[in-house]
Amino acid sequence: MITLYSILITVSVYLFVRFLAKKYSSPLTSPVFLSTIMIITFLVVSNISYGEYMSAKKIMTYLLGPSTVALAVPIYKNRDLFAKYFGAAFVGLSIGIVTTITSAILLAKWLNLSDMFIRALTVKSVTVPVATEIGRIIDGNISLIAAYVIITGMIGAMFGARILNLFKINHPFARGLAIGTIAHGIGTAEAVKEGEVQGAVAGAAMGIAAVLTSVIIPYIIDFII
Amino acid sequence: MRKVWKFSIQMLILIVIYQIGNWTAGFFHWQIPGNVVGIVLLFIMLWLGVIKLEQIELASNWLLKHLGFFFIPISVGLMTLGDIFVEKGLVLLVVLIASAFIGLFFAGKVTQTVIRENEKEKVKYHDHAL
Repeated sequence: MITLYSILITVSVYLFVRFLAKKYSSPLTSPVFLSTIMIITFLVVSNISYGEYMSAKKIMTYLLGPSTVALAVPIYKNRDLFAKYFGAAFVGLSIGIVTTITSAILLAKWLNLSDMFIRALTVKSVTVPVATEIGRIIDGNISLIAAYVIITGMIGAMFGARILNLFKINHPFARGLAIGTIAHGIGTAEAVKEGEVQGAVAGAAMGIAAVLTSVIIPYIIDFII
Repeated sequence: MRKVWKFSIQMLILIVIYQIGNWTAGFFHWQIPGNVVGIVLLFIMLWLGVIKLEQIELASNWLLKHLGFFFIPISVGLMTLGDIFVEKGLVLLVVLIASAFIGLFFAGKVTQTVIRENEKEKVKYHDHAL
């Protein structure tokens, strides 16, 4: 019963926010952000704990895997573009990952955050399932990692397009790459809406960033913290 | 009715590819998640023509349109982190926002600059050839 109620709430809130986002486009109506806040409010008011919400979550996220796989479709459709910009993509992706992790660690150290908080920052830009896997390898706090990743994704989805506009980054390939590298799946979901190229590149960048980070971070983490 | 049938079959194909991706990653003990392996698998199958675009496009487009939805139930998990965020929330938010903006800027700017430089060079080369 609670499961059914949770699903009903989640789906209706999502549909409502989607409708709202179409009418009023603002960082505050970014679907993942606003829906999450509204659903948490509903759950708290109805006295449902996250533990009780879990079974509904399992049912609703069942299609996340196949959805990620579906990203192969826009990647395939834009394969000539990928071949053409391969060099630029590789350089941009590597620099994007390095600058975001380095700046996060330096800032965290400067603000006197403890080792647990800093350690988890190394995987903040990686898609949820991969980040938690790397988290186990580097002995990080898994729920903290999940929170970093989700919040980073929301930041990218809410402000990504605006930041790119501000710095006159208007090439669709570069826009998709930046969003996918930094804001993984949640950012990609926004990039898909901006355009097919952006969505395809964001999806591919998310995958490649995940692979690069998981190959490199476990080996260098002890040197950079 | 035919469309529902077609949609379900396409969805099933994507689910099977995803599961194969999971098994493959697990079998070889790769540190790469199954869904990323699934992307590569589906791409190769499309490339080789084993699967045609129109055989999965209906379900794929629908899933991608609602990709954001699947992250919502996961994000609701943030409600369990109340304590940490009450204590350190603002500082953490500053770190996450600043580093995300820096990463977005560098990834985007570098990619765009390299693309534009390459295209300029090609034009020059073309002029010489003429």
